[in-house]
Amino acid sequence: MNKIIMDDSMVGNTAVSALAISNLDFWYGTNHALKNISLDFPLRQVTGMIGPSGCGKSTLLRVLNRMYDLYPGQRATGQVLFDGRNILSPGVDVNVLRSRIGMVFQKPTPFPMSIYDNIAFGVHLHERISRADLDQRVESVLRRVALWNEVKDRLNTSAAALSGGQQQRLCIARTIATRPEVILLDEPTSALDPISTARIEELLDELKQEFSIAIVTHNLQQAARCADRVAFFYMGELVEVDTADRMFTAPQAKRTQDYITGRFG
Amino acid sequence: MMELPSTLTARDGTALDRNARGQYGDIIFGMIARLAGWSILLVMAGIVIVLVRGGWSAFSTFGPAFITSTAWNPISHNFGAATSIFGTLATTVVALAFAVPFAFGVAFWLVELAPATLARFIETAVQLLAAVPSIIFGMWGFFIVVPFMAHYVEPVLTHYLGHVPGIGLLFHGAPYGTGLLSGGLILAIMVTPFICSVMTDVFVSIPAVLKESAFGLGATRWEVMRKIVLPWSRQAVMGGIMLGTGRALGETMAVTFVIGNSNHLGWSLFAPGNTIASLIALEFPESAAGSLKLSALLALGAILMVISFITLACSRIFLRRGIPG
Amino acid sequence: MSVQKTSPAVGDGWQRGGAQAVRRRVVERLVSVLCYVATMVVLFLLFSILWTLVVRGGAGLSLSTFIHSTAAPGSGGGLANAIMGSCEQTGLAALIGTPVGMMIGIYLSEFDQDGRIVSLVRFVSDMLLSVPSILVGLFIYLIVVEPAGHFSGMAGTLALAVLFVPIVVRTTEDMLRLVPRAMREAAYALGAPGWRVILSICLRSARGGIMTGVLLALARISGETAPLLFTSLGNLNWSTSLNEPMASLPVTIYQYAGSAYDDWVRLAWTGALLITVAVLATNIVARWWLTRNGSAQQ
Repeated sequence: MNKIIMDDSMVGNTAVSALAISNLDFWYGTNHALKNISLDFPLRQVTGMIGPSGCGKSTLLRVLNRMYDLYPGQRATGQVLFDGRNILSPGVDVNVLRSRIGMVFQKPTPFPMSIYDNIAFGVHLHERISRADLDQRVESVLRRVALWNEVKDRLNTSAAALSGGQQQRLCIARTIATRPEVILLDEPTSALDPISTARIEELLDELKQEFSIAIVTHNLQQAARCADRVAFFYMGELVEVDTADRMFTAPQAKRTQDYITGRFG
Repeated sequence: MMELPSTLTARDGTALDRNARGQYGDIIFGMIARLAGWSILLVMAGIVIVLVRGGWSAFSTFGPAFITSTAWNPISHNFGAATSIFGTLATTVVALAFAVPFAFGVAFWLVELAPATLARFIETAVQLLAAVPSIIFGMWGFFIVVPFMAHYVEPVLTHYLGHVPGIGLLFHGAPYGTGLLSGGLILAIMVTPFICSVMTDVFVSIPAVLKESAFGLGATRWEVMRKIVLPWSRQAVMGGIMLGTGRALGETMAVTFVIGNSNHLGWSLFAPGNTIASLIALEFPESAAGSLKLSALLALGAILMVISFITLACSRIFLRRGIPG
Repeated sequence: MSVQKTSPAVGDGWQRGGAQAVRRRVVERLVSVLCYVATMVVLFLLFSILWTLVVRGGAGLSLSTFIHSTAAPGSGGGLANAIMGSCEQTGLAALIGTPVGMMIGIYLSEFDQDGRIVSLVRFVSDMLLSVPSILVGLFIYLIVVEPAGHFSGMAGTLALAVLFVPIVVRTTEDMLRLVPRAMREAAYALGAPGWRVILSICLRSARGGIMTGVLLALARISGETAPLLFTSLGNLNWSTSLNEPMASLPVTIYQYAGSAYDDWVRLAWTGALLITVAVLATNIVARWWLTRNGSAQQ
């Protein structure tokens, strides 16, 4: 992390950005899904993204690790600066990019292999690593997500046998095992029960010591609890971005106000 | 909580630039996959080209008359396809006449009438019937069905139906046991499971609301089947029948055992005949390389190819379009 | 002091429809009975075949069936060379056909961007799935046997492989399409290149289904006779060389069943029993495997 983007507007405040989006547009075919978005994700903070279904918040997340590349007909223009490069430019190696900007999905997606191999899979992709180091990496990330004590005796059993909440924590462990700098979370708790949700939220608080986090959520309380800054999207536009406190107590825009007071969405 | 090793985040910002090494994997993998995919086109084209080329000398010697001629005389080098084409079509028609009602009956029973646990067992049994190798059907047909037909079925049919004007013609002749009827029956047993499993799949896949709303009006199970399920699934059912037809047209071993293998064209279902496939199986080993007979057999192969292609293409089209969703 | 219970009188409403209702009930009943009979007939036929095989084939089954090669009529002999030939040819065909079929299945499910060509390959593969097997025999005869000037086990193997591939293609494609999109995306999100996602994640997730397909394909080709008649031909002696004519169970059955010698016919029945047991057992294992894996994935 030698080249860090200084965002002039934020100097003296949160100072540095992990990711800086400027003038981003995104199309699904002819459908203009994101319109002229400019947004910074501060380093080692949790940025929450809220808004009604179809507002573009998940789409934005899928731009940040170029997941949209997988589907023909989807394209993005503009600039997303990460480590001094515009990640939208064709010269960027998306596989390296995705190892540095990790993603956790709505539903837990354990791979059809053992718990250990689920974590080893991502590590092996990018590093040559000795068995002992790998063992240590697996243990440390599993401790990190508070899963170690639950699974240490069955690391070689199928990950599919874990509960939903455990699977999601495994997916987070799997993501941080590749040592990303940014973690994108797409409604990571919407498929989980309240207890598992609470554990994931605690975990986010823990993780932001070291990672910059972007989280999309439908749950406004969750955004208020976890996020340092919150961005509100509506119909493909970024309406407002502010600290979580101010966003939920004194929103500036009328549409934000309407949304967080439950008038639509 | 254990401290994370400091290496976890202190990674020396791996370059984001696209480097050649990382791309090779996908390029090579894509090439292998494409080569594999295209190779199947090559095989299919190869089958067609090789058969047509092999049969060319027969086609050019006899012209279009090859299709209509009933001759098959290796001594005078006079060959025609009419008898075996007729045999192929006749046995297939007989097979379908039996297989379709039976397959439908079994499918209807499995889907609507049978208790769930029994249905699963019976369905497996029906699928196992489909898995029995064709040569087994041939042997069983030759040793069990043929004598049975000769001693019981054919004399009775001749006695009762032989004098009925019109269809009586079908049931004339000496009860050899071998012949078009036996061939058709064996084929029917072989293709019934195929048609049945397509029908079962289609009948199960109909949205429950459609059926329930009809039941809600007081319709019986048969009425729901006839008025709701069958019209809804007509295309796919046709596709399944075509699939069975394709099997019946090209089946070799089972037919060879029971068809009687005689180059004879007539109305009687009891008379021995042959089919394209059985003729090839029997005569090919006795044909000299480069002979006109060999070419005639390959020409027959090409004709069989065309007939089964048309059938299978229809079946695919029906099945792709036939199951909504 | 009991309260008088009066059950309500049966209303006239149940009589609605009259004669028509009776007719409908009769039709329903009749159809049910016919369907029941149809099922019984089909089951009866299956058991009749199995019974015949067990009775006639079991009689000739002995150790010498497995250790002696085919021999002249009246001099004993077994099926060892035919069993060996069948195993060798089907096994090799499966070894060739499995990777090829899986790659084609991958092409069909993962290379949608190729558009029309993918549809064409799928269509042709479906055709090949039901092409008359005797035509495949002719094809291999013309491109392998005729140029080489002799029949060979290799030619038989190739013919069986051509029949084997489309079955694996179909199951591989179907099973890969069942792999959830989220699972693929999760793998891509870790920075895995496409080929790793397909090979390590998708194929792994689909392996139960693909394995079933391979077993079913194996069962299917091990009973095939027609494509072997003009390719590996058959061999009365013990031979494992792929460059020479090779015996196989189905072809031996075909040759012996039509012969005039009682002991050959008996041997044909024994061979028929062996092959049917092998094919049906493979089928049952494959289906059991599918249900076991299917339920484990839920």
